[in-house]
Amino acid sequence: MSVRLQHIKHHIFAANQCAEMTTPLLSPLTTHVLNTGRGIPAANMNLSLYLLDATSPSWNLLRTGATNDDGRCPGLITREAFIPGVYKMRFETGQYWEALGETCFYPHVEIVFTIIDASQKFHIPLLLSRFSYSTYRGS
Amino acid sequence: MGLMLLINSSYCLATISGRTIQSGSSSFHSEQTTSALTTQSISSQRRSGMTSKTFSPLTTHVLNTADGVPGAHMALSLHRLDPHMVLWNLLTIGTTDKDGRCSELITREAFTAGMYKIRFETGQYWETLGQTCFYPYVEIVFTIIDQDQTFHLPLLLSRFSYSTYRGS
Repeated sequence: MSVRLQHIKHHIFAANQCAEMTTPLLSPLTTHVLNTGRGIPAANMNLSLYLLDATSPSWNLLRTGATNDDGRCPGLITREAFIPGVYKMRFETGQYWEALGETCFYPHVEIVFTIIDASQKFHIPLLLSRFSYSTYRGS
Repeated sequence: MGLMLLINSSYCLATISGRTIQSGSSSFHSEQTTSALTTQSISSQRRSGMTSKTFSPLTTHVLNTADGVPGAHMALSLHRLDPHMVLWNLLTIGTTDKDGRCSELITREAFTAGMYKIRFETGQYWETLGQTCFYPYVEIVFTIIDQDQTFHLPLLLSRFSYSTYRGS
């Protein structure tokens, strides 16, 4: 692929990837997806963030995006928007492995978690292989 | 916690199809619930006379990794995606036994290729132990292509972490 085409490809991917918010404040909610099958960050994985609307009940979509080359997704949510409640992060794991030419046992992974004290920071990694995954509250 | 039970009951009212699953000599009947999920102990059904030829091709094992004990008496449910209606059909509800296992989730005949979901009521589980849990519930969605295999899906759980894998 020519250098020019490589630049264009990078711009297209970057447009969908999560980028830092324009304000200097960092998101109170972060994630990091690691491909433990290959020992690499899981780059360009589509994900979405939802907040439960307790009155319906239904999930309100807050954000869609894709992990960057390091498997991270900065700028998920602003401090102001991050209120106590039940959130869901959905990772398109089947799509991710398909782009690598492989199948995955999990078509998607949804992690539902409760935020009581929204003044704290929450780092929610996803360690993923084709037949396993784990998550935890990190820092 | 009452909120999550309301969500559970709304969900069940939307998806329960009232079908009966035959499983050896016992049967599991999914019924409409108007409040919290009703639970049946699958281990007690098993003791009532399952033959060795009718083991479920899908099993699970919940472990409380924080306390180093089985995740006993945790409510769970198994669902299959109806691809045409794009909604989840509830197949089985039950509770893990004292060893954290739930070994008779589905019969070989009912276990067709498709997308399944096991939902574990983790928030409820930790609440009965007098603690909070970061995860009000855990849903593991997986794809079955070859229904002739057996699939063991453990859940290793603490208050602030969980993991799952295809075991044996």
